[in-house]
Order: sequence, then structure tokens, then C-alpha cells
Amino acid sequence: MSVTSGRYEQLIQDLRAEVRPQREWIERQGLLLIVGHFLSGVAAGTWLFSLVFHFPAGLAVAYAIAALSAAAHLGFLGRPARFWKMWHARSSWIARGFVGLTLFLGGGVLYLIPIFLSASPWQSGSLIAQAGYFLALAGMILLLFYKGFVYSSSKGVPFWTSPILPALYLAYALRGGVAALLVICSFNGINLDSSALGLLELWIGISAAVMILFYLGVMSGSSPIEQYSVRELLRGRAAVSFYVGTLLVGLGVPIGIGLTGLGAPLSLGAVALVGLASVIGDFFVKYSIAKAGIYRSLTSSPHWRDKSAAVAGVPPLSVKP
Amino acid sequence: MEVVSEVTPTCGARDDVWIPSTCGLCYGTCSILAHRVDEVLIKLEGNPDSAVGKGRLCGKGVSGLMTHYDPNRVRVPLRRTNPVKGIGIDPGWKEISWDEALDEVAERLRKLRAEDPRKLFIQRTTTVTSSRTPMQVFAGAFGTPNRSSAGGGLHCGNGAHLISGIMHASWSVVPDFQYCNYAVYFGASKGHGAGHASCSNMGMAADARARGMKMVVVDPMCNFAAAKATEWVPLRVGTDAALALAMCNVMVNELGIFDAPYLRAKTNAAYLIGPDKLYMRDVASGKPLVWDSSVNEARAYDAAKPDDMALEGDFTVNGVSCRPAFQLLKTHLARFTPEWAEPITTIPAKDIRRLGTEFGHEARVGSTIVIEGVTVPYRPVAAIAFRGSQGHMNSVYNFLAVDLLNQLVGSADMAGGCLGFNPASHGHPETGRPRYIPKPGPDGLMVTGSWMAHHVPYPIREPRLPEELGMQDLFVLCQTSPFSDSADREEMWKKFELPYRPEILLNYGTNLLMSIANRETVAKSLTQFKFIVSFDLFLTESSEFADIVLPDCDYLESVDSRPNFPFIFSLPGGMGEWCWPIKQPTVKPEGEQRRSSEVLIELADRIGMREDLNAAYNAILKLEGPFRLQSDRKYSYEEVCDAELKTNFGAERGLEWFKNNGLIKWPKKPEEVYWRHFVDVRVPIYWEFLPQLGEKIAALAEPRGLKIPRHYYEPLPDWIPCPAHDDPGSDRDLFAFYYRDIIHTNSFTMENPWLDEAARLDPFSYTIAMNAETGRRKGIEDGDEVWIESRAGRRVKGIVHLTEAVHPEGLGIAACAGHWGDGMPIAKGKGVFFNDLLELDFDHVSPVNLNLDLCVKVKVTRAKGARR
Amino acid sequence: MRWGMAIDLKRCIGCYGCQLSCKAEHGTPPGVFFARVLKQEEGRYPTVRQLFLPVLCFHCDDPPCVDVCPTEASFKWPDGVVDIDAEKCVGCRACMMACPYTQRYYHDEEQFYFPGNGPTPYERARSQRHEAGVVMKCNFCRDRVRAGKQPACVANCPAIARYFGDLDDPTSEVSRLIKDRGGYTLHPELGTGPAVYYLPP
Repeated sequence: MSVTSGRYEQLIQDLRAEVRPQREWIERQGLLLIVGHFLSGVAAGTWLFSLVFHFPAGLAVAYAIAALSAAAHLGFLGRPARFWKMWHARSSWIARGFVGLTLFLGGGVLYLIPIFLSASPWQSGSLIAQAGYFLALAGMILLLFYKGFVYSSSKGVPFWTSPILPALYLAYALRGGVAALLVICSFNGINLDSSALGLLELWIGISAAVMILFYLGVMSGSSPIEQYSVRELLRGRAAVSFYVGTLLVGLGVPIGIGLTGLGAPLSLGAVALVGLASVIGDFFVKYSIAKAGIYRSLTSSPHWRDKSAAVAGVPPLSVKP
Repeated sequence: MEVVSEVTPTCGARDDVWIPSTCGLCYGTCSILAHRVDEVLIKLEGNPDSAVGKGRLCGKGVSGLMTHYDPNRVRVPLRRTNPVKGIGIDPGWKEISWDEALDEVAERLRKLRAEDPRKLFIQRTTTVTSSRTPMQVFAGAFGTPNRSSAGGGLHCGNGAHLISGIMHASWSVVPDFQYCNYAVYFGASKGHGAGHASCSNMGMAADARARGMKMVVVDPMCNFAAAKATEWVPLRVGTDAALALAMCNVMVNELGIFDAPYLRAKTNAAYLIGPDKLYMRDVASGKPLVWDSSVNEARAYDAAKPDDMALEGDFTVNGVSCRPAFQLLKTHLARFTPEWAEPITTIPAKDIRRLGTEFGHEARVGSTIVIEGVTVPYRPVAAIAFRGSQGHMNSVYNFLAVDLLNQLVGSADMAGGCLGFNPASHGHPETGRPRYIPKPGPDGLMVTGSWMAHHVPYPIREPRLPEELGMQDLFVLCQTSPFSDSADREEMWKKFELPYRPEILLNYGTNLLMSIANRETVAKSLTQFKFIVSFDLFLTESSEFADIVLPDCDYLESVDSRPNFPFIFSLPGGMGEWCWPIKQPTVKPEGEQRRSSEVLIELADRIGMREDLNAAYNAILKLEGPFRLQSDRKYSYEEVCDAELKTNFGAERGLEWFKNNGLIKWPKKPEEVYWRHFVDVRVPIYWEFLPQLGEKIAALAEPRGLKIPRHYYEPLPDWIPCPAHDDPGSDRDLFAFYYRDIIHTNSFTMENPWLDEAARLDPFSYTIAMNAETGRRKGIEDGDEVWIESRAGRRVKGIVHLTEAVHPEGLGIAACAGHWGDGMPIAKGKGVFFNDLLELDFDHVSPVNLNLDLCVKVKVTRAKGARR
Repeated sequence: MRWGMAIDLKRCIGCYGCQLSCKAEHGTPPGVFFARVLKQEEGRYPTVRQLFLPVLCFHCDDPPCVDVCPTEASFKWPDGVVDIDAEKCVGCRACMMACPYTQRYYHDEEQFYFPGNGPTPYERARSQRHEAGVVMKCNFCRDRVRAGKQPACVANCPAIARYFGDLDDPTSEVSRLIKDRGGYTLHPELGTGPAVYYLPP
């Protein structure tokens, strides 16, 4: 490969600029990571609500989604062999996520086999299945929580280092779970307690909307780099995915339909639409926030600028991001 | 003397050595250590034993291996198959053998030499200093006076080197970093960029700043030196003389600050000047007269004690009323008030007055200092200039006005003052070589002890009808001439009855299409050569005009006994060490490349001029005793180097010794560094010879229809606007100028991918610096692509970088970029081709020293499509 | 013992000597810079200054990059140097997101500086040791320092603007310079405890 590749040209442009967007976790194979994050959240949420609603098909789908998430993660890392290196994983949120996914996939299979395979050597309710249940549950909890912390511990990207993000991503994982159930149900013509689900969906959707607004509000009042990220989200590179994916499809459609559903029960199609839109919204919230990530700027270190400017005898300028 | 840096011996069977040699990425020629492992160079570092670079290298130097191993280097001799020559026309290169190439070149040169050797024009790049000796020797032996250094002299040399030579006996000037307290830089970056002794100067300048040296940088742009300055003084491009003259006026006429004893003893300030602007001369001896106030009569300057010489007053000698030169200068300066200079320079008068006052006070006129037990005058102020301020039609006055600041307070080559680079050397303690000391010449004025170019700057040659194609023998104060390539060269040659026309160009590595002026004019001159042979590392835009290209070895494959000599060029100035390093091959070439030095010897042999060549080597390298070359023997260049080293440092210290040790060094003495205090020579604060010279040139030129503007030939510096200042065009409202980038050397280094990458990351290297407010006014945004257009309709394109760090009327461009050829693919399309805006003819050069005017009044418009 | 550096912004002239001597020492791939020079202007014409900021990995006392590394590929030596074990690195790039100083580079695939020509002999000797698909960064020239030399950027700096030594030793040159000149770190508000200090211009 040559240095005239587009990626190199892009990197040079980024390194020239005072604000440098993160691209590693959004572009090229980086997109697989966002997909992986999204899928693992949906998987955990679906598993949770399938347990709550005693819905085995949902469990199977959750498991399949988790497996896809694992594949997406490995795709992001580029080489399957890296899976084995991940066994070094220890004390970081990514490591917790890896452990969570491993527990979930390992436990999940133990729990699911007797449910779906009559010839299973162990039965539902057996010790093995019970163990599987608890392992998967532990994995599920880790998967619900870890992602937000992966972002919020990224000190290089100020936009992400907010305690709101873990809560937001948890909410989205839960909502994704509900949404997946809605989709599965409507496709299978199964009528779970769709009004309860719809209400739940609405409630989480509104919470998520509130959280997003709160998040953006806090960020736009922070340092110039965070402000720049907000601008990326509202007017820049992430604006389309944010407005269309996150807001319109992800929040507007489900909440709108959900609100009309308060008066009368929703048709299966509408339920499916709510679910689908929510799932899409779940993806795009992660996509948009990842895309709006801007690295912290060195020359904006207030300390350096103030000291240098003072010595140079010029009044410090406000940072232009 | 000490022995330094043994080559690290090989450990075991593995090839693993550090080889001392010399950098070749610019003419700074810092000493390097090349690390070779298993026949591959894996690292270049500075040689800490050397005074040249002091173990450190600039960004270019450390990147040398990316140039050395560039797969785009020329590896085999090439012959063109397409007879049509022009920009962008494929020469149809065909690979040929060395024998075939040399046969053809030698045959043509032999015929030409028999016909008229002056028809050979030799041009070499300034980047590779090691090419100087072999080329000079070859030209001398061949019998052609026609040598040039592409853009080198036209852009910097004709003003800076001429006046540094006449006033400081050196190629360039620098503050005495160890003792200077107040330095004013006029369009110079010494210690903050490329060039002479660049790496050593960077460390020494940093020491000086850390020590508290105040640095005032006068420059339209705030980069490099200005970025580190205590004070940046932005001025309108090319108006340096107005500022310097006003500062002189403040010192002399407002504050009465000047160093009278220095002026009396070390300059021609006391020489009596008659109403004809000429010296009053002693009737018997013809020597200039001074007024001896102890006896109240005029005496020859060397008959009176300096203390008794009158600097001021009106006198009558033999019935002729006359005044000391200083009196004339003082009166002359009075008109240059800060208030007068303000509208010219855009610098507020109060700042000009303050700068003049600070300079005068900081000079501590009258003080002395003891350095290593030797008492010398202490004048810790320096006004230095280089390419920027002298790159105009008023080149001479601009530079001279700046140097007047030093001369007035007596800081020229005194402790803490403005130093020439090593104008005096007493030689190695064991051999007394190389020894050179400035000496008095005609009228007691200084003749340099050491020089680089065709002829020493003083005494001035007698102008004559030109026999040199650059007409340097008519315009005798120029070092390099535009007329080898100018648009009006044929017209000039006709006018001046040049008895021949150049037919063959022997080019060494220059890319003159990019380095001189607009390419159209230069290309036209190139097509007029009947035959061009070019030594090249890469196929440049200019080598596309060659008939035969000879692949050269680069600096890591070549040998040179004097990469850093003459010392007036790139050995750091000030106290420290004399240091004589060599350049030696560190690896063998990967292709069929041959060292140009050896090829020239081979060519000389084939031409049948071996004896002349050896004689020229003997003369130019000053070979002596048993080390003189015998006329009939064929020597390799390594043998020549060996002879020079042995001549200078004794039979036991030949090339082999130097290959092992890398260099020889010995301490400098205060009597050498501050030589001016100890040597009885004078420099002209009043250029009496200039009006006379103007008349002599005019006497030849004006009957032939070339007007010589006499106001450039006055004995005292004046302010004359550049053509750009007088350009009336209302939509041309900006002064485009160029500067030398810290990570690039001429047009050469853009091909180095590390340097190219660094330049791409730099906000300025490849962009056009425009003042942010100016941009806003014009509706131009940062990153916009624009056209810059000159009065003559020449246009170049580039990306704008809006910045607060440039004068609102200025447009700053890093020089010599904008390659378009395919021979240097990394460099292609990078940066802005500033030189394409420059006109190249008599109307755009200094009529005194032929320095090109390098500022252009331009119109800026957004290019279509246009936003990055 | 804690290795650290002081960069004297008064002496630095923005010559890129550090950036390029680092390239020469490590043969880093295109677009990868263990050391860089940033330029910034401050003020308005004519009271404006160009400021140069040479940067490299700051070898934090509490390195966020090490905290987020899932495989302990990013780690801190006992002497304070933060390093990457390419063998353990899985290329997840969490450390790039965590580094508040943007001093980590992902070497996504083998590439060389002359397009279409493969590696030069220099690159064969010096660059091919860099594994692809891992994150890279400055390790204070660990090999040089172990061999008793200074890091390449320090040894080469033509303006002599960089000092390297033991921050734990109050008598070391770096410690004394930092104390005497009021050395400071970048983004101290993050509590990372960088080992690279700047001396004011």
C-alpha cells in the first residue's frame, strides 16, 4: 500500500488541524466496533426482557445478536487470533465487556440448549442450566453497563468523558431490548403484553431523549473541544445521522407512535415499526456520538497558552476550536 | 591539537561502523556520523566532536537517508532522444553507458575549447558546497570565465556577500552570540533557520537568548527568528534601508552616539572628501588625506595618528574646500528622521526612535572586555542582514545602511558585535596553515584574506566591455549575474558586443527553471544552448532540457577534503574552535552513479587538458612542496584531497588519517576572532569608489543605449523604492515576498518524504501567508485557493493561510516550491512556485550589483472552485 | 527513579529537529510521529507571537492509556516509562481514545514512504520491525537510554532545548530546571501527572 492512500491523506489533514476528529472508532473497520457495541447492548437488553416476559424465542435471538456482536468485534480487531490475546484481558472496561460477552455466550449456550434441544444431555432447571442462567445473567449485566464506561473513560475525547454516557447507553440497551422483542413478536404474530412493552418503550424513549438533551446541554457549556463536538453533532459531520437516525427515527417515530398508542392499542405493524425505529435509533445514537468525538487539543491546554502568551506579552486569545 | 572521534572499530565479522563525514542537505555542511550496518546506512547523527553542528543536526540533516535511498534517483547515464526541448516536453530518455556518455561530452567539449573556451557555461547548485572546488578547477583549466550558481547569487549573494566582504572580510555576518546583548535582524534568520553554520548557530543563538540577549527582528513576517524575538518589528517589504538610516540618524544626530576612535582608526570616516565626492589626495603619494588636528593640516591617512584625525568640520586644502567623510555622512543622515521613515516603513516613528536609542545605548561605546587574557573593545550590539533585506533593487544601500549601524558604534568584528564568519585565521599551531588575514589594499581599505567567488570584492575591478556572458566584468560589483538567463540577455550581448555566445551548459545539480525567476524566461535561455550536460541526483524540471544526464553520487557516496573551507562560509563565528572536517564515502552507490569530481577529472583527460587541470588544482587549493600535483600525472580526486590535507596539516595527516579521525580542530584565539582590533585595515563608511564606478560603467553603457541610474551609485546609502513600491496598479495591493523555510533547502528537499510530510503538517511551508484582517477584507478564508498575479500578468496558484503573523500588505511564501516534473514525484505539486512571479531583466535587478528584486506587487483573487 | 524531560520553550525554535530525528531513530511509518512540533499563534497583529510546542508521549504517572488497555499491552516500566508491548496489543485503540495528549498512533498496515516502490534499504533495516495492526508511540528511546545514551530528540536538538533525566532525583538537571524555571505540564487538570515539563518561553 502506498502513502498516497486516502487514509494517509486524511491523517495528514487531521494532524494539521487544530481540532482532530477521532476516526479509529467510526471509520473503515472502526464502524464494526460501533456495530459490535450496538449489538451487544441490544443482545443484553433483549435477553433481560425475554427473561422478564418468559420468551424463549427472544432469548435465542438475543444470543444470536450477541454472537454477531462478537463477530463484529473480532472483525474490528482485524485478526481472529486476537481473540486469544484478549484472554490477557484484565482490569479495564473493555476487558469487562469481553468477560461479559464471554460469560454471556458461554452461559447462554448452557441455558438455551435444553430449552431448544430435547436431546440435550442436561435439562432445564438442572445445575448446568442453572449455572448457565447465572453466568449469562452476569454477562448480561456487564454488557448492559460496560459500554458507556468504555466511552466515559476515554480521556482523550472530552465529548465522551461524561457520567451521563453510561446511563444513556444503559437506557439505550434496555430500550433496544424492548424494541427487539417488539419486532420479534410482531413478526411472529405473537401478542406479548405489547401495550406494556409499548409503554415501557415510550418511557425509556422519553428518558433517553431527556438524557440526550441534558448531555448536549452540559457538553455545550463545557470546554471548546466539547463545544466543537456538539457542533459536529448538530451542524457538522454527525448531523445527518443525529437528526435523522437518532432524533427522527430513533426518538420521534417511537415516541410519536407510542403517544398515539396511549389512547388505543397499536396494530402489530405499528408495534413492529416502533421496535424497528427504536433499534435503528439505538444504533445511530452510538454512531453519532462516536462520530462527534474530537480529540483533546494540546495547544488548547490553558496552562500553556496563558504562560506563553504572558511571556510573549500579548493578551491571550480565546480558544478558537 | 587533539585527535578526535576514531571510527568505531568493527565488532566481530559484522559490518557495524559509525563513519565521520559531512552533511549535504544544505550548504551549512554540518559534521555527521553515519551509522552503517551490513552495508546499509541506518542512521545519521551529528558528530559531537566537531565544532560544525556540535553533534546536532537540523530536521533536514537527520532526514538525509530518505534522500540518499530515494528510488527516484538517477542511476544510469541518460541521453535524450527527442531533439525538441521545452517545459513539459518528454526528452525521451535512453539509458547509455558511461563510456558513450563521456565520449560524447568530451568530444563536444574538446571541440568547443579549441574554438573558444568561453562558450562553455558552468552552473552549479549552492546546496552542494563540495562541488565548488572541482567545478572551479575545471572551469579554470578549461579556460571559461563563465560560472554561476543558479539563483544562489542573484537572490542572496550579490548584496549580502559583496558588502559582508567589503565591510567584514567574510561571506556573511552574524551576531557575536557569546557576548552580544542586543541584536537587530533585518531579513535574516541566523540561528533560527537554514544556512551558514546553521546548526551551530541554533545552539549559540539559543544560549544568547537564554543569557538575555535582546533580539529585535525586522521582518514582514513573524516566523523563525521573529518568533523568538524580544520584539518583532513588522515593516513594509523592502524598506529596511529607511529604518536603518533613521536609526543611524537618531544615534548620530539626535543622541550624538558614535565610536569616534573606531571611526578614525578602522574606517575612512576621517578621509577628506572634495566637492567632486572624491577623496582629497596627497599630491605626491596619491593617498587620501585626513585633517590632522594636531598640526592643523591635511596629511595622508597613514601619516597621521588616528586620534588626531578630524571627523567633523569644514576644511580647505590647496584651496579646495572639503570635509571629512563622517561629516558628510552626518549631514546626509539628518534627512532620515523617524518621522520621514514612518510612512515608508509603516513602523511608528516613536518605535524607530526607541530602536535607534536602544541600539546606541546598548553599544557601550568606549568599553572593553578581557577575553582569555586579551583586552578587546566591547560593543555588545549587532545589526545583521541577509537575503531578505538585500533582495531588492536597492540591495547595496539596504545592506550598507544596516551595516552602518555597526560601523557607527564600532561593533564590527569587536566583542559582542557584528562578526564576519572567521575573517582571520593564524592557521593550525603546528603548520601555520591555513593562514589568512585581511590586509589593507588601495587607499588603506580592506582586502579580504579569504574569498569564495570569482574575484575579491575589493579592490574593485576596472569595468570593461564584457567578455563574460554574465557581464560581471562590466558590472564588477556583482557576484552572480542574471544575464546568463535573462529575458534581455541577447539584447545586452548585442549592445555590448559580446564576442561569442554560450553553446554548452555544464550543469551541476541546479534546477534553474525553479531557482532563478519565471520559468518561461529561463526555459527560453536553456533552449538556446546547443548542448547541455547535467550532473544530477534526480531528474529535475531543468534536467529535462539536458542532452546528457550523468548520475552523480550523493554526499554519502562522495569525498571532499574541504567541505567546510573556506572558514568564512560555514564555520561558526565567535570564540570556540577551528575545525576542518572532511567528507568521505560511507557506502557504495547502488546504481552506476559516479562521483562528479572523478568524472570531471576523466573528462579533462579525454579533452586533453590534464596539465591545465593539475595546475588549476595546485593554484586553487594552494598545494605546496612535495604535495603539488605533477602536471603529467592523472590523479584521482581522493589523491587531490590527500594532497590538500597534507599540504595544510603535514605529511602524516593525509586523507587516510582524516578518514579515521573525521576532522582536525584547534582553539581559536581572541586575536583571530576579534581580528579587527589587531589588524590595521579600514573599511569604507563612505563608498568613494561608487560614483566613479558608476561613471566608468556609464561611459561604456550609455553610448550603447543602456542608461545607468546614477542615484544608485552615490557614496552614501540612500532609500530607493523597489519597483513594487512604485507599481501604480490599484488592484495590486499586496507585496508578495519569499522566505527560506526551516525544513527545506532550495527546491531540493521537497522530494524527501519525511521533510515533505513535515512541511505538509506545517501551517506555512506550503501555503501563502496572508494577514487575517487583509483576508477578511478581501473575503478570502483560510484554506482558500487563490491566484497571485503580477503586473506582467504572471500567475501562481496556492492555498492561503490566514495569520496574524504577517504584515497586512505582505504575502509570505516559502521559497522554491511548486515542482511540476515527474522526476521528483514526492515534490511534485507541493507548495507555491513564487519565483515564477519574478521578472528577469536589467529593469528588475540592482543596477549596481545585479541582485534580483524579490518582492512583487500582486493582485490576489480566489481561484474557481476554491475551498479546501 | 522516574525518567522525565524538560523542554525549554525559550530555546526551542520550531526547527522540527526532534520530529525528524525521532523518525530517523525509529523509522516510524508514514503518518506516525512519536515526536512532533506544533505551531500556534497568539495575539493580534502586530502584537502577535508564533509559539512552538514540541510534543511527545508524556509518560504520565497515572496513564489513562494503561488504565483502559484490556490486555496490559500498554504498561508502565518501574522507571516511569509508559510503553507498549506489541505482542500483547490487539489493536482495539482504546488507548488512543484515552490518551489526553493524542500521542498514540495506530499503524494499520505496512506502508513505506515511496509509493509503489516498497521499502528502501533503510526502511528494510529500520522500519520493518514495526508490526502492523497495533498502536505505536514514544517510549523515551528505551534502547538508547538503556545503552547509556539520551533519547534521540534530546541528543539531537540543535537549540539544546531538551533535557532528560531522573525526576525523582531533586538534584538532577531536569528536576532543577523544572523547579528554577517554573516548569509546567499540559492539561494538569486531568491529574495524569506527565513526566514531560515545559519551561516557559
